[in-house]
Amino acid sequence: MSPAVKRLLYVALLLAAVLGLEFGFDHLVKDAAWRQLALFAMVNVVVALSLNVINGLAGQFSIGHAGFVGIGAYTAAVVAGNVDVRLGPDDLGSVVRLCARLGVQDEVTIHKASDLVKSFAVMPPALLGAAFMASAFGLVVGLPSLRLKGDYLAIVTLGFAEIFRLLIATAQTGGDQQGPISAAIASLGGQNGYAGPLGTGVPQFAGPFWIFGAVALATILAWRIKFSGWGRALRALREDEIAAAAVGVDPTAYKVTSFVIAAAGGGVAGALLASMRDGNPTVQPDQFTFAYSFDAITMVILGGSGSVTGAILGGVFVTFTVKMIEQLQGLDAVQALKAAHPNLDLNALRMVVYAAVLIALMILRPEGLMGERELFRRTRKLGPIGKAPVEPVPVTTGAEAAAAKDPGGEARS
Amino acid sequence: MSGLELRSVSKTFGGLRAVGDVTFTVPERSIFGLIGPNGAGKTTVFNLITGVYKPDAGSSIRFAGTDLGAMKPAAIARLGIARTFQNIRLFGQLTVLENVLVACENRRRAHLGSAILRSPLFYLDETEMNTRALELLAIFDLDGMADETSTSLSYGNQRRLEIARAMMLGPKVLLLDEPAAGMNYGEAEGLKKQIRWLRDRFEITVVLVEHNMQVVMGVCEEIHVLDHGETIAHGTPDAIRKDEKVLAAYLGEEVHEGQPAAMAPSKSEGAS
Repeated sequence: MSPAVKRLLYVALLLAAVLGLEFGFDHLVKDAAWRQLALFAMVNVVVALSLNVINGLAGQFSIGHAGFVGIGAYTAAVVAGNVDVRLGPDDLGSVVRLCARLGVQDEVTIHKASDLVKSFAVMPPALLGAAFMASAFGLVVGLPSLRLKGDYLAIVTLGFAEIFRLLIATAQTGGDQQGPISAAIASLGGQNGYAGPLGTGVPQFAGPFWIFGAVALATILAWRIKFSGWGRALRALREDEIAAAAVGVDPTAYKVTSFVIAAAGGGVAGALLASMRDGNPTVQPDQFTFAYSFDAITMVILGGSGSVTGAILGGVFVTFTVKMIEQLQGLDAVQALKAAHPNLDLNALRMVVYAAVLIALMILRPEGLMGERELFRRTRKLGPIGKAPVEPVPVTTGAEAAAAKDPGGEARS
Repeated sequence: MSGLELRSVSKTFGGLRAVGDVTFTVPERSIFGLIGPNGAGKTTVFNLITGVYKPDAGSSIRFAGTDLGAMKPAAIARLGIARTFQNIRLFGQLTVLENVLVACENRRRAHLGSAILRSPLFYLDETEMNTRALELLAIFDLDGMADETSTSLSYGNQRRLEIARAMMLGPKVLLLDEPAAGMNYGEAEGLKKQIRWLRDRFEITVVLVEHNMQVVMGVCEEIHVLDHGETIAHGTPDAIRKDEKVLAAYLGEEVHEGQPAAMAPSKSEGAS
């Protein structure tokens, strides 16, 4: 099979898989809460994969990733909302006819199919807009990373994320006589959140198809970026900037590009977050606080800084661990404890347990779950090893040199 | 002129003049020594040539007709000036092979876009570069450990890997910063042969900063001596050996071949 055919086959398989998930995910995971959590975990995986490019591969410390996610979320909400309004109310006709021809009678499936069809008009511009807007801000934040390192860069990224969030959260909504900029910011809804151009909610078109599709695409991208010459140079830069520059790797270009790529990924995650069917059809500034940036860092570090599969594991692990600990609250033993000590703050206790889990993991595996390795180890196929068609350097070891005592010989070939 | 040319190069850090008015020309395909006591400014000169530091106004560093003064380190490397470092700087978490591969990044035809699409050009590039890198590793007898992380190598292997990485750049000039540091007599003898062999095999110019007089006197064709950032002598090894200023600068320490100089740092970590 030629590589092109093989590739087409993979794409077809992937499409079939995500389409299957779009229609079958309800049956696969029966409980709606768990289903929601799984989809949220997938969005977090995209967040972790994108942050991994800056924090893991490039070795820059960004603690403001929620800012990029937020910019993506707001951009997608605005784009999707407006496209949805333009498209007008659902026109089920053609989809119903198609379903009838395929022999599908199920009301739910027909509704899903029509949503999916419509999502193809809404999601692509929303996702692209979010990626583009976030990467533009990534460029702006990436530029200072040329001069700043470590803690200083961390403060810049944190500052950026907080400025973005507070600009929206503190905007005066409903006030009159505002300039065009403050009016534009105020139209994003301030603290109460943005609910689409008509205030009726952001359209929720990101079903399992788009979410799992985005995860698959992000994983492939992250993997290919890491295992390319570009990713290698980025990792080299992380290890030693001066030495990397000395072999022709320009730190400026690589660092800024890594910021732009990571921001674009964060923007896509934000777009999914804004459009997913989580019963919250608004985008609120409080979704993108420092706590979310911090969760993202936890996912990357816990999974193993620089590891693609590690970022995936980290994203899933953090999302589910938080949920598991929440579930503990419902246990009889915990409820009895609460009854015995009414002053006990269970929410605070939850954070203590979460912290303990994180500390334990960092003690047991200081490099994270994966280190920089991958779950499926890539074996090198290229190049002959041990079969060297070249003459070695004349004297390779000191011992040999002393033994040879051949001051006249220029080369041993 | 297509050699490396320094004209009245100076560098001041705050009030400290690290390099003052240094002028020399490195002939093409030569092995050129840059020596001097500790703190003479030798490594600073390397850092000026490679763009790590910017020289003071009035200095001129030219290579193959290009003024290096305002260029960034990566651009200077791409011109064909490769270097090693006094305190080894490898990409620690990367494998031996990856360390070498990074050095051909700028000659890659498949850029990020085709790497993401995994176009045929990407595979072509990877195969070609892997082959080249493995050949180079074989030359330095490192091909057996291509997949080990570079931090796990012995001190001597790390030094050789640094040279292999520099050679992967396909340089015209190779700057070696104290390659003999920590080597015993036999190893230093080996190094002398390696340097000559590299020059002949790859037709490059070698500039050597070194404390080990056994190596410097044995391999260099021309030597430039610095003390406190100033030039005190320039000439052939025989001339330098007899130069009174040089002898004085080294404070009467014995400077004759066959004996490791007393000031050679003796990092005694074993080299294989």
